[in-house]
Amino acid sequence: MAEEATQQAEGGTERTPQWAMAIDLDRCTGCEACVVACASENNVPTAGEDQAAMGRTKHWIRIDRYYEGEFPDIKVKYRPVMCQQCDEAPCEPVCPVNATYQNAEGLNVQIYNRCIGTRYCANNCPYTVRFFNWFAPEWAEPLNLQLNPDVSIRPSGVVEKCTFCAHKIKRAKLDADADGRELADGDVQPACVQSCPAEAMVFGDMSDGDSKVAKLLGSGRSGQLLESLGTKPRVFYLEKAD
Amino acid sequence: MDRRNFVKLVGTASGGAVTGACGRQAEEIIPLLVPEESVPVGVEQWHPSVCGECSAACGTLARVMASEREIEVDGELVRQKIAAVKKLEGNPLDPVSGGRLCARGHASLQSLYNPDRLRSPLKRVGPRASGQFETVSWDDAVAEAAGALVAADPGRILFLARAREGVRSENIARFLEAIGAPPATSIGVGDFAAEREASERVYGRNGLPIYEIQDSTLVLSIGADFLGGWASPVLYSRRYGHMRQGRRELRGRLIHAESRFSLTAWNADRWLPVWPGGELALALAIGHVLLGERIADAPASVVAIFADVDLEQAAAAAGVPVDAIRQTASELAQASAPVVVAGASMVRQNSADAVAAASALNWLLGCVGKPGGVIPPAEPLGVLARQRRFSGDWSERLEQASVVLVDGVNPAYNAPASQSALADAETVISFSPFLDDTSAFADLILPDHDPLEQALFEVPAVSPSPSFAAAGEFVAPLYDSRPIATVLSELAEATEQPFEELTVGLAVSRLHSAVESVGPETSASEFEARALRDGGWQGPPSGELPTTPGTLGAFEIASKQEGVVFQAYESPQFGSGSGANRPWLQELPDPTSSALWGLPVEVDRATAARLGLVNGDNVRIRSEHGTLEAPVYVNPAAIPGVVSMAVGQGHASYGRYASGRGANPMVVVGDLREEGTGCPAMGPTPISIEKTAGDARLVQFSRQDRDLPPHRV
Repeated sequence: MAEEATQQAEGGTERTPQWAMAIDLDRCTGCEACVVACASENNVPTAGEDQAAMGRTKHWIRIDRYYEGEFPDIKVKYRPVMCQQCDEAPCEPVCPVNATYQNAEGLNVQIYNRCIGTRYCANNCPYTVRFFNWFAPEWAEPLNLQLNPDVSIRPSGVVEKCTFCAHKIKRAKLDADADGRELADGDVQPACVQSCPAEAMVFGDMSDGDSKVAKLLGSGRSGQLLESLGTKPRVFYLEKAD
Repeated sequence: MDRRNFVKLVGTASGGAVTGACGRQAEEIIPLLVPEESVPVGVEQWHPSVCGECSAACGTLARVMASEREIEVDGELVRQKIAAVKKLEGNPLDPVSGGRLCARGHASLQSLYNPDRLRSPLKRVGPRASGQFETVSWDDAVAEAAGALVAADPGRILFLARAREGVRSENIARFLEAIGAPPATSIGVGDFAAEREASERVYGRNGLPIYEIQDSTLVLSIGADFLGGWASPVLYSRRYGHMRQGRRELRGRLIHAESRFSLTAWNADRWLPVWPGGELALALAIGHVLLGERIADAPASVVAIFADVDLEQAAAAAGVPVDAIRQTASELAQASAPVVVAGASMVRQNSADAVAAASALNWLLGCVGKPGGVIPPAEPLGVLARQRRFSGDWSERLEQASVVLVDGVNPAYNAPASQSALADAETVISFSPFLDDTSAFADLILPDHDPLEQALFEVPAVSPSPSFAAAGEFVAPLYDSRPIATVLSELAEATEQPFEELTVGLAVSRLHSAVESVGPETSASEFEARALRDGGWQGPPSGELPTTPGTLGAFEIASKQEGVVFQAYESPQFGSGSGANRPWLQELPDPTSSALWGLPVEVDRATAARLGLVNGDNVRIRSEHGTLEAPVYVNPAAIPGVVSMAVGQGHASYGRYASGRGANPMVVVGDLREEGTGCPAMGPTPISIEKTAGDARLVQFSRQDRDLPPHRV
């Protein structure tokens, strides 16, 4: 798909961006700023202690952490994990109502009002980044005032997940249109990317060879999570350089 | 929000904004700051503010949009149009945050919209700490508070305030001066008293130095969890990212020495597990080895403190093998741009000495004032005439005090031993926006506005050059609260004492005349307008750097404590405990244990095996100071014999999300003090630990910790 987009660009037709994210694990500190930034941007509700005990928290992005070794020679491996926006997404073919599909820009899209809550997609996701709403979300007043009007509240009975901040992509396009210019590299910053204190996350159009994300993908440290499954994620991890 | 868009947006957003009302009645309750048509529905505005969560004082941007809420007017529900803050981000023009923000900074929005915020002044009607209060008018509350101040011996008035430097602390100082009371003091939490004391000795300046780690080739941090919350976590995370991957073909290395496997230890190329309290011994031992490897024209007074160190004895006290010490010193000696980051994330009884000795290593390495090294603290801005001071005897003064005023600190939680003095004081007055552990003891609570509802002027604890972060007002207060400066003015008037409030505008214009570098071409009003538009000001780096150290003093190495010891620490999500009433932070997995909605006692594998403990078992921890019960997390990275617990839970009173949840580790730590400053220490405290049949629950996020298959819905 990335090659097609480049060919389109070379042929003079309008480029369709191919969104991707690079996460530099040599920069990432595991501070979880991205987790709260995402909850704030995307109206992700808290589940509460009892639901959390049943594994029903909704973290569109999380820090996976694994201890390796024994004290004192212990290491910890960790990485931010969100929907990997796979090109060959295992969640898509199992949805009986086509509520989830890959759009032309490479986003794995979830249509909440088409979803009928079979949870097949969540069960089939090897990254466990899809969350089913067992209950309608609630915010004790006046916490509801914090809600972002640009992002819909997901009702009970549907599956939700990271969108790569699709609303911010749309907004950046509208702003670029209003200014009469092309979308520039760095115009779109999902909440996690925008927040990251160590600047470990970079988002952009990987079909644009000059974009920062495309350059990072060619840095020699780039890999994908559970690459052997053949899901072809759009999230690329730059391994630690040690 | 990036720099380009911010500059564009502030051009369209007004300097002040924003509330509207749909009906006449509502308009009378919350006055309009600007006409409602300036907040069109669906259009965002971005206003600079200052994060109030820690001493870093990151400059932020608040995303403001039209919203509405329901309020009751004469028994009728009325929908009121208001301007609401939708999100916080870092301010790209701010030298500290650089447009980034940490988890706590994002979650501070849930302080503004916390459902447990106090909505009016309260007067106690039941016994102290019973939580029984009644609503009173501001007139009555101020009159009653003024009466207590007039009746009191001014020398027995004690003001406990946050360790922040800015217009707020200046106004508190002015008020106390006006009524003849002694200066305010913090309770030593988030104050960096040990680091400041060490700076006086090492650089001859009070304040926190700034570490230029972004340009270092090797960073050794001793006791400073600079990625997990110490000093200025966003600033140092930005610099850390650059150190690792911001330079072409040059990747800086990090060695971290601390008594727990903190976020900084996670990120280190090598972690040196130090026995709690052994940081001084480690610094001295490394210095001693360095003397044989590299001395960059080090002053004789610095050489002297390392010369006579017994390496074997120091290594034993630190709990670090001699080989590891030699290797670390050798790497420092060979590095082209090394630096030692010295701090006390967990304050010990000897922390001032430990930080001074670790800082002195930088004189040995010749990196003071050099690229990739350390820049000594800047001179104060000169705008805030009354410097904040920490009094090591605050708890003794609390016992003698007749009137106690409390702003922004929670002694009943962070120093539980102070509860009896709070219970016995004649009058306790709190400015807290929440009914927290300490305000539960108050006779009067005069709730402050949320930081997002008021004008702010704060000096960051660490900044690349002299700077301040400032904000104007942009949303109307939700409730019948008042900014503390207004209440202090009213109290001064009621007690007939002279008090001149320092406003944010006045502080900015005073800086204009005090600092030459602002430039004569800018008028005071232009400077103020620009500072409030940009969210602050940053001057050029301060002038001359000290070339010789101050009086370092003599250091004594104490031997390593035997038996099992306990240490408390500040976690990245809860800080000193103030973050516990934000649901986002309660549901944020604890980095160490992945615990949600609670914090466990962290026990090493050997101790756990000896006691037959597995994750989720309950234990009782007992010290000579107190006892706590909590679930256990068997931490594979814990030092054998060192039991740790994050501060955050165990609030007797702090709203629906925090009250009665978990245990407070400070109960076990007890009234331990740093010897040089009197600052409260966080261990090590000798303890006994036993398994109990308690039913406190450990909820964990990580399936690895629970031996479960990967996450499934």
